[in-house]
Amino acid sequence: MTAETQIDSYLSSLRLQLGPLTLAEREEIVREIGAHVRDSAEESGASVETVLARLGPAEELAAQYRDGLLIRKASRSLSPLVLLRATLRLATKSAFGIVVCFCSIFGYSLGAGFVVIALSKAFVPAHTGAWIQDGRLVSMGAFVYGVSPQAHEVLGMWIIPLGLIAGSLTLLFTTLVIRTSLRISQRWQSRL
Amino acid sequence: MAKQRAQAVDSEQPDRWEAQLRKGALEMAALASLWQRRLYGLEIIRFLERNSRLVLAEGTIYPILNRLKAEGLLTSDWVEAEAGHPRKYYSLTDAGRQRLRLMAEAWTSFAAGLSTLLEPVLEKQEEPQ
Repeated sequence: MTAETQIDSYLSSLRLQLGPLTLAEREEIVREIGAHVRDSAEESGASVETVLARLGPAEELAAQYRDGLLIRKASRSLSPLVLLRATLRLATKSAFGIVVCFCSIFGYSLGAGFVVIALSKAFVPAHTGAWIQDGRLVSMGAFVYGVSPQAHEVLGMWIIPLGLIAGSLTLLFTTLVIRTSLRISQRWQSRL
Repeated sequence: MAKQRAQAVDSEQPDRWEAQLRKGALEMAALASLWQRRLYGLEIIRFLERNSRLVLAEGTIYPILNRLKAEGLLTSDWVEAEAGHPRKYYSLTDAGRQRLRLMAEAWTSFAAGLSTLLEPVLEKQEEPQ
């Protein structure tokens, strides 16, 4: 392989791996890396092969750009899907990421749970509520088979607004925590 | 077995820790290299090799520059060169200068604090010799 074909094949592999970026961004990156390879080879007198080896595999280089984009996008996003994808990616990189990932799954499930309870009160009111027996809370939520007859339900229809408020607050809090964690990770680990 | 593991940890940990430290400093170093004048990627790499002991995999710096630009700390211009192809020059924005100044202050006071703390550790090491 001649030097030019080596460069070309590296750059086209890079271009391919940069798929999620916009066309303009992708072309700019490819152009910049191309210039780097030519300059570096010329300056040091090293072969193109050596320069490409120093640069690392195209897949890895592209992954660094993609991670940067994913985390940047997510730290401004409100969508649980985008945020979860970013935390999953972070979890593959560091212990901090694993903790963030677990916390976000927990937070989203808890928040969604509150909302589901509120909604189910509207459809199956007899099976949804917070029951108290002998002065303590025995169960809360939506149940298929109902709860022990000695327990009495205390919240009534209030469970709908309460569930919705608790659910939204939990989801909001989870979103903020994830976004903050992503920003921190960007500062210290995004070179991951 | 346990002893072996302890030894392995002893020999590996400082390297990994140092690598993390370097990575953390890289962003600041890249910004600092542009304090005097604009540079293109390869010049930044060479500048860091010359002026700090930050030896980096050459591929690492480009995604960082890309991110710093996306954060508005850097701008870039393509400039024609005699080399036959244009080069992408980076320079600090006002926000970048401000951020770098804050980083430099934080880093210096942090390092000064730690040096005081570490002085006795380094002295002790010399005594037995």
